[in-house]
Amino acid sequence: MTKNKNVIEVEGRVVECLRSAMFTVELENGHRVLAHISGKIRKNYIKIMLEDRVLVELPPYDLTRGRIVFRYRN
Amino acid sequence: MTTKPFTSGLGKNAVVITRVADGQWHALHDDLVVGRGYAEHRPDARLFVSIDAWHDTTFDRLAEAMLAELPAPLHTVVDEADIQLTAGWRRAGFTIRRREWECVVPTDPRVTGLDEVLPPSGVTIVPAGQADEGLLRAVDRAIRDEVEAAVGWQSMPAEVICRPEGDTIVDPSKYAVAAAPDRYLGLIRVVTVKRPRIGLVAVRADEQRRGIARALLAHALGTLHRSGFAEAWTEVHESNRAASALFEGIGARQMSSNLELVR
Repeated sequence: MTKNKNVIEVEGRVVECLRSAMFTVELENGHRVLAHISGKIRKNYIKIMLEDRVLVELPPYDLTRGRIVFRYRN
Repeated sequence: MTTKPFTSGLGKNAVVITRVADGQWHALHDDLVVGRGYAEHRPDARLFVSIDAWHDTTFDRLAEAMLAELPAPLHTVVDEADIQLTAGWRRAGFTIRRREWECVVPTDPRVTGLDEVLPPSGVTIVPAGQADEGLLRAVDRAIRDEVEAAVGWQSMPAEVICRPEGDTIVDPSKYAVAAAPDRYLGLIRVVTVKRPRIGLVAVRADEQRRGIARALLAHALGTLHRSGFAEAWTEVHESNRAASALFEGIGARQMSSNLELVR
């Protein structure tokens, strides 16, 4: 887990692709969050798929949600 | 750097909107970043914006600050299934400019019906990796100029990969082409990272309606099928009736849609 510019970021793996453009991401600690895609990723048409390794930003107030801000290449 | 405080409803302290860099805004609450906005130019010079916020109020305030400082027109992209985000941009005055369907395409010739499809007389299909690079660049340039003179690339599926100026072919080995004796007539680009994606299938304007695109698809999908891929993916602009008919005719299914919004 990293804390950059007062933002909590955690690596995880996409374990479920849901409707409504949402994903279930399992974090390094085994915790699962409901995540959506960041605007920058969507703007660049980067596709998120099952099993992708991703970096998730967590909100400061609700650790059950997340935002996928980066997709690792493998 | 500019800052603009407001009450967000997140607590007793105000959220502050700050432009932290060129094309980048932060929403801060109790020194925590609770929202971000970005603006950047696409290679085609259009200005695209995006906002990530945990609350609608923060989204609205970031949008307000960004729109006040950025020149129109502004564009953004949303997944149509993301109702909350789409609603946020609508509140900010954005409207739908175009819709692009993401489709899954079967590769099995028994499903696509392409098993008997051959190129028209005098045309041969040159497999990916074997095309002459000079002729490939020539047909790519010619088709792009034809599209630009008609509907324009802004109305075609997004091409956002940054390339050297004027270079539209990143990797020539990804293209199969339809060849006449003296020139190439059409091309198809398939790139496989985790799953195969048909990034482009196009035919010169004066060679269309001869079955060349179907022949290119038959070749590309057949190759994928023999390599063990059951499906490929592609994006089709909803107003491109020829492309829609081509893919629907071989059993492609619409899986999701992206909206390009403009204000």
